[in-house]
Amino acid sequence: MSNYSKQAGIGGNKIRQSWFRSLADHDMTLGWLFSLPFLILWAWWFLYPFIQSFVRSFQDANFAALDQAQFIGLQNYIQILQDKEFFRALLHSLQIVAISIPIQTLLGLLLAILVNQKLKGKGIFRTVFFLPYITSQIAITTVFMMLFKKGTFLTEFFGMFGFGNVTWFADTSYALLFVCILFIFQQAGFTMIVYLSGLQEIPKDLYEAGEIDGASKWNKFRYITVPYLKPITFFIVSVSTIAGFQIYDQIAAISRYGALGSPAGATSTVVTYFYQHGIRYMNIGYGSAAVVLFFIIIMLITYLQKKFLDEKE
Amino acid sequence: MMTRTNVQRPLMYLWTILLGLLFALPFLYTLYSSIIPMRFVNTLTSPANWTLDNFKIFFTNPAYDVPRWFLNTVIMTGVVVVGNLIINPMAGFALAKLNFRGKTVIYWIVVATMMVPYHMILIPVYVNVAQLGWLNTFLGLTVPFLYQGLYIFMLRQFFISVPNEFLEAARIDGLTKMGAFWRIVYPLARSSLITMSILAFSGTWNSYLIPSTLANTPEMYVLVVGLNSVKDMFFENTPLIMAGVVLSTLPIILFFFLFQRQYIEGISSAGVKG
Repeated sequence: MSNYSKQAGIGGNKIRQSWFRSLADHDMTLGWLFSLPFLILWAWWFLYPFIQSFVRSFQDANFAALDQAQFIGLQNYIQILQDKEFFRALLHSLQIVAISIPIQTLLGLLLAILVNQKLKGKGIFRTVFFLPYITSQIAITTVFMMLFKKGTFLTEFFGMFGFGNVTWFADTSYALLFVCILFIFQQAGFTMIVYLSGLQEIPKDLYEAGEIDGASKWNKFRYITVPYLKPITFFIVSVSTIAGFQIYDQIAAISRYGALGSPAGATSTVVTYFYQHGIRYMNIGYGSAAVVLFFIIIMLITYLQKKFLDEKE
Repeated sequence: MMTRTNVQRPLMYLWTILLGLLFALPFLYTLYSSIIPMRFVNTLTSPANWTLDNFKIFFTNPAYDVPRWFLNTVIMTGVVVVGNLIINPMAGFALAKLNFRGKTVIYWIVVATMMVPYHMILIPVYVNVAQLGWLNTFLGLTVPFLYQGLYIFMLRQFFISVPNEFLEAARIDGLTKMGAFWRIVYPLARSSLITMSILAFSGTWNSYLIPSTLANTPEMYVLVVGLNSVKDMFFENTPLIMAGVVLSTLPIILFFFLFQRQYIEGISSAGVKG
């Protein structure tokens, strides 16, 4: 390909050059030519499924007999909004976010500050803190399941602080907390990296000016670092909130052979709810309606975050 | 001032080391547990008892065919990364450097696609893959994922920063715009392309939701899905499961060590731009 176009370009073959040029040199044709592979895949594997998600949500559609799907208006939505399990799942999603986001944001900030010091071997620590983020969540969850079985040194250690010496992921009162621990462990490294790039962008003379004014370390942190990191903090909170709502792997792993959200629905979320109904039970219509509700929730959060940010600015 | 930093320094070290140990614990536990016999689980034992037996089953038992799962993962990840390396830069370049009718619409398509979580289309994608007869095939695992809105957006940002003089110089040398893209602009984007490949590679390699939905026969498992089934099947055999964890995560961890710097830059730049 390249040899050929070079020859054509140098002007060897004028006739071939003319049609090739009109294709390869005009913004209009080349622009569409270059966008086409993306547009075809997008229309096929994004736009079409996206529309289907909405259409199916108004249908009584089962995977086994999709050609017999019938429109039933808002019935799927009505049924979901009358299902206690859906609100339980929604509550769990909110709980995961409410517990994990503050902890992982603060932990990530602490890690970033620590590895931003002039410490020996800080590269190793950076790697160690970041490793959970690049490892598959199934693997991390598997390891934590072995660590948090009843009677291991870890559950016994937590037992000293008033936690029950139980198998965490199989206990209805600890399983959701277990998911939060997994999520925090995964996200903290990401937060650290993003904060680290923020910390390194703070102009050094700000701190020097602070020192001349006799500011204490805490005051420099409070009045220089924190305001400077505000946009980054906002970014981290938005991204992690969305990621928290999308958690799936960890819950699928701890559910083992049971229904998603095991034990006894203690870890069900909006995502496992739609997956269980739409794909496991093959109830495409009902599952799609749950997905649309999930989408509305995500959009609502994004909107609220944006509004909050615009007011702050 | 001097005395305070002297007091604080060891304190900082202490915190770093404590948290470092906490984060390293699951990894060390995994490594250790994978090389001990079952009866020594959760106890310390001398190196005399260490063994590699736990790893053997994954290479000898056809039902837990780790080499096969590894190959599946390599094929899936390889095809997805190569597809992204071709399709995303072309679209990104068109959006950055070419003027054509419809460009604005395509730009907004990219931005909107970027913001929609994949969950939103998972059920219809599953249905469509099934209707094409693509369940449990590499076509189903790769074709829908050959492009990414976020990466097109990232590459567009990079291509905008390429000075137009490069394109004009290429024109004087007789290259068409297409030629200029492949021979001059594409190689210039090397570092952006590496960043994108790393993100696409690790995202695909570690993914569970999509491969577990679209491929569910043991021959078509990828490593992550296979690991999950090994975990469920041998739930009481910690050393065996840990050997599985080591085998399935080692490739991505080695990959990370190879590209650590670009990886971290990629995460923070995708973070700031995205």
